[in-house]
Amino acid sequence: MVPSFLARERTVAGPGFNRWLIPPAALAVHLCIGQVYATSVYKTALVKHFDASLTSVGVIFSIAIVMLGLSAAVMGTWVDRNGPRAAMFTSACFWFAGFMVGALGIGTDQLWLVYLGYGVIGGIGLGIGYISPVSTLIKWFPDRPGLATGMAIMGFGGGALIASPLSGRLLALYDSGYDSTDSTSVASGHSVMLLFLTLGVVYLCFMMFGAFTVRVPADGWRPDGFDPSTVKEQKMVTTASVSAANAIRTPQFWLLWVVLFCNVTAGIGILEQAAPMIQDFFRDGADSSVTAAAAGGFVGLLSIANMAGRFVWSSTSDVIGRKPIYMLYLGAGLAAYVLLATVGPNSTVLFVLFAAIILSFYGGGFATIPAYLRDLFGTYQVGAIHGRLLTAWSAAGVAGPLIVNAFLDAEGTPGELTAAAYRGALFTMVGLLAVGFVANLLVRPVSEKYHEPKDRTAAQPERSRA
Amino acid sequence: MSARVAVAWAVVGIPLVYGIVETLNKASSLFTK
Repeated sequence: MVPSFLARERTVAGPGFNRWLIPPAALAVHLCIGQVYATSVYKTALVKHFDASLTSVGVIFSIAIVMLGLSAAVMGTWVDRNGPRAAMFTSACFWFAGFMVGALGIGTDQLWLVYLGYGVIGGIGLGIGYISPVSTLIKWFPDRPGLATGMAIMGFGGGALIASPLSGRLLALYDSGYDSTDSTSVASGHSVMLLFLTLGVVYLCFMMFGAFTVRVPADGWRPDGFDPSTVKEQKMVTTASVSAANAIRTPQFWLLWVVLFCNVTAGIGILEQAAPMIQDFFRDGADSSVTAAAAGGFVGLLSIANMAGRFVWSSTSDVIGRKPIYMLYLGAGLAAYVLLATVGPNSTVLFVLFAAIILSFYGGGFATIPAYLRDLFGTYQVGAIHGRLLTAWSAAGVAGPLIVNAFLDAEGTPGELTAAAYRGALFTMVGLLAVGFVANLLVRPVSEKYHEPKDRTAAQPERSRA
Repeated sequence: MSARVAVAWAVVGIPLVYGIVETLNKASSLFTK
């Protein structure tokens, strides 16, 4: 199935292996694929280069996110079967190839090649890479799964923080007429092509570092001082195993699908429109008291809140439990949305505070979901189940911008909107969060009829080594 | 093994710190006139 140097049995950790090597291995992958959220750096350059509309160029990002969800869903079982090294290696090859084909498209003025390269091929790399370390981390950190997955998935948020300034500097290096600090300056298509080639090579090296650092724990391994019986005592944490095929037949899977969909849609509602939104909220006539540069700073601040939320909230879930933390994400998120719509227009500080809280819950929702799945379905095929659940992300990626743009289109023209124009979109998000809150309340332990027989799950690691 | 762990964290930590510092610098313009 995979070359021997990638085989799962070659990655089993020996005695004395330090499990704290696994989070940086996972981060090496997630920091690279997180670049997908930094595409705005060269978006205008591509619009000019291809003489295309913003929508046509925006499709590149949309294809990549849809392919992320689809490939995670389709390849999840393969990732679980073949282990993290094969998955990270494959993800690195797809992500690298995506940049190379994308560069070819830019160099030969063929936008469809960028769709195929960065969108389709790169998107497959995104999906496989996103889920590749999750089940391994959960197995290495059975005592703190939220902390472990939070650290890795934090990298997906952090990837854009690195790629955004780095891309600006590289574009300025490749195009002497481009100034990354001047919002009116546009880089040449040639410089974006060189940027794609550079990023592709750098990301390949980084992801290979992750692939060849990662290990899986030996059968029966457990951390020093960890007593699995303490986990068993918690009502919402199972010691049984549910297969991916069975998981999608349970109401719990679909309730969590709704929870993730609502949480992500609400977050995207702000992320999608962040820079113009803060300017519109503090608009007086044709002018806004928030400059374009400050609006860019607001977007950066939200990225940090998104990233920090992934680590902080997911780690907190290890202490207070998965269901209560989602009640916080959805319940307090709902309250923050109401306050953003009503009190937000009165103060920039309050507006930024409420938006940052919402984005931290958005990130937390992403990072905590693998641990929630582990609690409900066990570790047996948690990677594959997580992959299937990520279709909620793809759906939210379409629904979130659609909801916001539909309301704003009906309210007026960009550049003339005010805080009142956002009310409809924001209160729709409040309704969505309420639906998610109820869905989370309905989550109960999975019925025993879906559990795998003990002998089958015990045989799985042996089969996967064949 | 400890040295290997330190190097691995440095490989991912240094770029991450770079990204956070750059972003905070940019975000500071939000609260300065």
